[in-house]
Amino acid sequence: MTLQDATLRTLAPRRPALRATTLRVAWAVAEKDLRIEIRSRQALGAVLPFAATMLLAFGFALGPNRTLLQATAPGLLWLAGLFAAVDLFHRSYQSEAESGALEGLLLAPVHKGAVYLGKTIAAATQVLVLVAATALMVAVLFGLPLTRAPLLLALTLVLGAIGLSSLGSLFGLLTVIGARQAALPILVLPLVSPVVIGAIRATSSLAQGSTEGVAGWLGVLAAFDAAFLATGYLVYGHLVED
Amino acid sequence: MTDNVVELRGITRVFDGLPAVRQVRLSVRAGEIVWVCGGNGSGKSTLLRLVATALSPTFGDGAVLGFALLREREEIRARVELLGHQPRFYGQLTALENLRFVCRMYGIDVRHALPALARVGLDEVAGVRASSFSQGMRQRLALGRCLMRDPDLILLDEPYAGLDVDARGIVTDLLADAERRGRTVLLASHEPPTEGTVHRRVQLESGRLECVGEFAR
Repeated sequence: MTLQDATLRTLAPRRPALRATTLRVAWAVAEKDLRIEIRSRQALGAVLPFAATMLLAFGFALGPNRTLLQATAPGLLWLAGLFAAVDLFHRSYQSEAESGALEGLLLAPVHKGAVYLGKTIAAATQVLVLVAATALMVAVLFGLPLTRAPLLLALTLVLGAIGLSSLGSLFGLLTVIGARQAALPILVLPLVSPVVIGAIRATSSLAQGSTEGVAGWLGVLAAFDAAFLATGYLVYGHLVED
Repeated sequence: MTDNVVELRGITRVFDGLPAVRQVRLSVRAGEIVWVCGGNGSGKSTLLRLVATALSPTFGDGAVLGFALLREREEIRARVELLGHQPRFYGQLTALENLRFVCRMYGIDVRHALPALARVGLDEVAGVRASSFSQGMRQRLALGRCLMRDPDLILLDEPYAGLDVDARGIVTDLLADAERRGRTVLLASHEPPTEGTVHRRVQLESGRLECVGEFAR
């Protein structure tokens, strides 16, 4: 560092901005995203009808066989949730694209991983609402019992929602950077398979009233959630930077 | 010893094989207000975005406020405000909520948001969503963000675009305030700024820095 640089650094003291902690920034971003969604209802307003239509279509295709409907219901629940969530991830970045707001996030002097965490918290909240509403639809349409182990089922939904959102919030960024919308499902769907499989198996067991093997699947979900979150936190900055 | 706030050393930025800014060498001293002029596509916006670290140079290096352009981006971002073509606000949030969000991202006390809106004449519409704002009101909101942050280096990209006479006065006041407080300003505009507000003019032509001139003051 030259003498000139040292002088300028003295003239430009460290600003309070650098004290904006990861958690504060994450919460600010999450609150902002959720506030925008509550007001616009863009994401859930569009994806819930999609999930309902998909379930109805499968219901008619599978016919009135109640045993078959109940056996396939957990898979349909998570597939409907997954496809609807992919659309939700794309929409969650639309508000960043308008008026160049994404550049505002880029230029904020914060760890970009904190921005990623904030967007993941907001997306996971929305996905949780989505899969919970879808689960109720599945219970009504397919007769899937949800009350046999409600706490473990709730934990499955939460871990599944975090898993889907941690990847969706990372790759959803690509839909506004270079407008590579087609890349979102191509990247998200294969990578999220372990989460979907774990969530389906856990939901299936819990719906049958069995807790055998559930802990293992929940462990798989938690492990993938942690791995996806850590990866997203570390690489988000590289994706968002020019 | 010099005290250059901006020191660009042969900066080039290429988009899809086409250079938008070519081999630009520019030094801006602390407290200077510099008008970057040039026609459409001359590279003014790209130059400002490079200084703001919104873009990375393809070639070249430099320093802003003594921090390396390539390696110390967050340090630069904490001290620089870019007012670009886009206001960078969320339409579904109110004017006040937008500025409060900026406060939280920059670690500023959220109580500074309302006075900043008052300074740009938007305090009466603080609770109105930004989506219903006109272009001029959005530009005022962006100016409010700049005033609230009080950065060491202000980068104004076509700040007069869409502004009425009153709002142009806000830009003039901002420049006067910056000069009084010893802040440095780079103002990119194809139209001349208000007389007496800038110290120096640099001209970009097809991405090259063509000429530099001092203004008599």
